[in-house]
Amino acid sequence: MARLAFLLLILAWSGFAGARALQLDLGRLTHPVFVIDGLRVRLGDEGEAAELAIERFAIGKRDWQNVTIRCPAFRFERAVVRCRRGMLTVPGLFERATIDLHFDTRNKSGELNLRMPGREAINIVMRPDGRIVASLAGFAVARLGELLDLASWNAAGRLVGRIEYSPTRDGARIRVSGKLEGGGFTQADGLRAAEGLGLDIDLGARRGPTGWDWQGRVAWNAGEAYLHPLYLVAGPAVEAAGRLEAEVLTVARARLELEGVRTIAANAEIGLQPLVVRSLAFSVADADLAVVGPRYLAPAFAPAVTDQLRFSGHVSAAATLEEGVPTAVDLAFDEAGFSLSNKELSFGPLTGVMPWRAKARTEARLAVGGGRWQKLALGAFELVARLDGQGVDVDHVAIPVLDGALVLERLALARDAAGWHGSGAAVVEPISMALLAEAVGLPAMSGVLTASLPGLRVAPGEVSLDGALVISVFDGYLQATRLQLFEPFGVASHLYADVQARHLDLAQLTEAFSFGSVSGFVDADVLGLELARWRPVRFDARVISSPGNYPRRISQRAVQNISALGGPGAVAALQRGLLGLFETFGYREIGISCVLRDGVCRMDGLDDRIAPGDGYYIVRGGGIPALNVIGYNRRVDWNELIDRLQRVIASNAPLVIQ
Amino acid sequence: MSAFPRVAVLGAVMATASACVTINIYFPAAAAEKAADRIIEDVWQLGEGETPTIRPQPDGEAK
Amino acid sequence: MNAMTNAMTNAMTNAMTKFRGWIAVLLLGFAGLVLAQGNIEIDTPAIAALKQSMQQRHAKLAPLYASGAVGLAADGNVALRDASGVPLAQRGQANALVAAENADRAALYREIARANGHPEWEADVRATFARRWIDRAQPGWWIQRDGNWVRK
Repeated sequence: MARLAFLLLILAWSGFAGARALQLDLGRLTHPVFVIDGLRVRLGDEGEAAELAIERFAIGKRDWQNVTIRCPAFRFERAVVRCRRGMLTVPGLFERATIDLHFDTRNKSGELNLRMPGREAINIVMRPDGRIVASLAGFAVARLGELLDLASWNAAGRLVGRIEYSPTRDGARIRVSGKLEGGGFTQADGLRAAEGLGLDIDLGARRGPTGWDWQGRVAWNAGEAYLHPLYLVAGPAVEAAGRLEAEVLTVARARLELEGVRTIAANAEIGLQPLVVRSLAFSVADADLAVVGPRYLAPAFAPAVTDQLRFSGHVSAAATLEEGVPTAVDLAFDEAGFSLSNKELSFGPLTGVMPWRAKARTEARLAVGGGRWQKLALGAFELVARLDGQGVDVDHVAIPVLDGALVLERLALARDAAGWHGSGAAVVEPISMALLAEAVGLPAMSGVLTASLPGLRVAPGEVSLDGALVISVFDGYLQATRLQLFEPFGVASHLYADVQARHLDLAQLTEAFSFGSVSGFVDADVLGLELARWRPVRFDARVISSPGNYPRRISQRAVQNISALGGPGAVAALQRGLLGLFETFGYREIGISCVLRDGVCRMDGLDDRIAPGDGYYIVRGGGIPALNVIGYNRRVDWNELIDRLQRVIASNAPLVIQ
Repeated sequence: MSAFPRVAVLGAVMATASACVTINIYFPAAAAEKAADRIIEDVWQLGEGETPTIRPQPDGEAK
Repeated sequence: MNAMTNAMTNAMTNAMTKFRGWIAVLLLGFAGLVLAQGNIEIDTPAIAALKQSMQQRHAKLAPLYASGAVGLAADGNVALRDASGVPLAQRGQANALVAAENADRAALYREIARANGHPEWEADVRATFARRWIDRAQPGWWIQRDGNWVRK
């Protein structure tokens, strides 16, 4: 406005000359806000055409060349300048803008109307007291792109509003109120864009000796936006105050109203040439995780599992960024809960604080109310972690599992571009198998599970556990070593281990699984066991009677069950006729092996003697009455075998052997 | 006199051994490419007719 | 001359006897190597699960490849290269698809290296796939070449 007023003044002076076909070369004019180079005024007769031309007009670093105003009807009467149906051209900003103005040179008051095609209009009124009021109607925001170096944003939309400028004793006051309608912007890659934006804008500023003090409120009432990686919809409103001084915009206190959050407060320092956020600090009070989690947290921090993450509870946060890089983040959780993949893994309610500094050690303290991992409920525990840049250290955490606990010690993890790396140790404090079996849906069994895994190593997509997990069960024990867990959170999650079992009491085992009754003991080796989603997909397994002296009897029912497992082609009882006559039989040895590959189990039995017809002994008889069970089927479909086993366990109906 | 041949043989064996180890860490590029193609065909469900590319590397050539 | 040859022969025989075991081991090693050269194991349950997951996602990604919103990057990943054709409300979902696909791809490359007993091959596997994804891409899809996005 100031510059327009100035132009008018020049016009006025030049009109004063009152000469016919007069040309004035006024050269260079400078002002704190703008510079005019090559100003030329050419006047015809009064009431005839006049032309004002400016070679270069500059505000800050931006300039326009060849600015002209042509007035077909130019008058200068009684110190009042009038221009009707003039044409203003500012290449790149205004083309073919119609201008009407009158200006009283005595008290420096007047009015200017600019109309552009598309019902775009600017009306500026200058009052004798120095106040200037500009009204905008349908003002195209795209013009601001030219003014503010924001051309790459492709801004669109129209502004309706009023700008009021009042001089004060030591400066000036500006008040802006208006609406943006049908606003939008988009960058070439589509990662920052908005459509259908509606904003209510209310701003005020006061110029002092060194800069502007401003305050205002902007409410977003319509439209949607995508600011990578967040999708936002209308609703938020921001109230802020600050300073503008030497092309640095300071936001001293901003309050953002956002659904799901009590308050967000922020302050920032923004460089305007070029536009860059130099520093930013914000705090979030009482954010409802159920609202902000899926909208903002999951897309920002875990986009790959956005669909699978669920949030509950509240969090408060504070963060500071310098030159776009986070330097400090503080989080305070209040009964927060997180769950992944339909509660396959969940933690909560979780309460505590997590401070983080880019360049200092901090300590996080969280009280976790419990959790769940697949079918296992986890008890409450306290987690104290030391955070240091990209690293996390945990000295000791004990996560209760049933009547025992998983204890992690000396855990040191660090994150890089590929993922998490680290090491530590794990111990499983005794968990009773009775509870564990019940929890995971296994038949009732007694015993205890413990583990000592001194070499826990973490690499992207991999957790390996050196040491042994031991389950004392069925009078013997089962030991898993070389445990490795791959891709733990993905669809390809799978587990490797070598399992050795010694001296398992068959009487208890067969009873637990309702498999008839067998007395005696077995040893088992399952090497290279690979479980995908808890189902075995690969192993070399061998089960054989334990060495030693002990009673060895097998019930008729167990024989039938074993036979049924072999399928139609694998039934053979040497003394078949006797089967119906006795409840139990003596045996010398039991042995069976299975090499599982690609869904097929290659089976074999006791390896010292080939049975007639290329069969293999599964049970070799001994004592009276003696009985051999011989298998013939050497390739068995694993899923079918499991189906049969489940059917055998499930049905107590006697199987008919023909 | 006999020390020299021993050393020679030892050397030869060592050379073989180290050669073996060295070769063993080579990545089987051609085989990997075939494997990648099989997976890509499955993931993108490409039919047989939709494989216009020519594989430049002969099979078995180490990278 | 003769004596020397004899001595050498003897010495070599001794040495050979000593190292016969070694050589057997080496030959076995070679046998394993030949096998490794001829084949890359990809038929494991984990790889099958990843393949299935990626195949299902492909139905949603294919239109994004075709429209150019998502391109095949030179590093074996996919990337959101120009989202401007995707409705605003679905851009986040497109980004989630890209992130999930890249997570599966990273797991796939790791898993193939692992299944072949050479976790250190991961980078080579990734590079091979990066090349093949781009070579097998349909005409019209966007691919990254020498750091620039080009339409195939």
